Amino acid sequence: MATGTDQAVGWGLVSFAGFVFTYYTIWVILLPFVDEGQSIHKFFPPRFYAIAAPLIAGVIGLILIAVFVAVILSASQKKKKS
Amino acid sequence: MTKLMQWLAAVGLFMSIWLAIVLDMISLNIPDSKKEILHALPVYILIVFACYSLALIGYRVATFNDCVEESRELKEEIQEAKKELTEKGYKFD
Repeated sequence: MATGTDQAVGWGLVSFAGFVFTYYTIWVILLPFVDEGQSIHKFFPPRFYAIAAPLIAGVIGLILIAVFVAVILSASQKKKKS
Repeated sequence: MTKLMQWLAAVGLFMSIWLAIVLDMISLNIPDSKKEILHALPVYILIVFACYSLALIGYRVATFNDCVEESRELKEEIQEAKKELTEKGYKFD
């Protein structure tokens, strides 16, 4: 059975994903229909970041994965030689 | 057609339609204020997919199950196989 920690982590992931989905949907899809100057706009960063932030995060993530793979490959190469 | 080719074809189709609308090759007379939704659409779909994947992983982690019955069956079958093999002269370490 899934232990208490497993359940906490699992439902935590689910609620985090739900929160991100809701927030991003309101930000990107609904906010253009709300008039400028309404107080709801205070809760969201400028629209530029709605596209820039995921792209930058994606690029950084891909770089990290590439570095990780490179490190692993070079480590296994060294092992073969010795 | 593999699954990869299907996905690539779907993504390519979506991106070409999206590009055609963004570059005004198809004019739908979308007001400028609503165009920013259109511009964010591919990134939005990516984010939605990421959220779905994360939620699915979380759900599967939270509802992970032990297969008690299957484990018992497997152990029984191992015992049975061991017995048969010993009868035929195989020696276990």
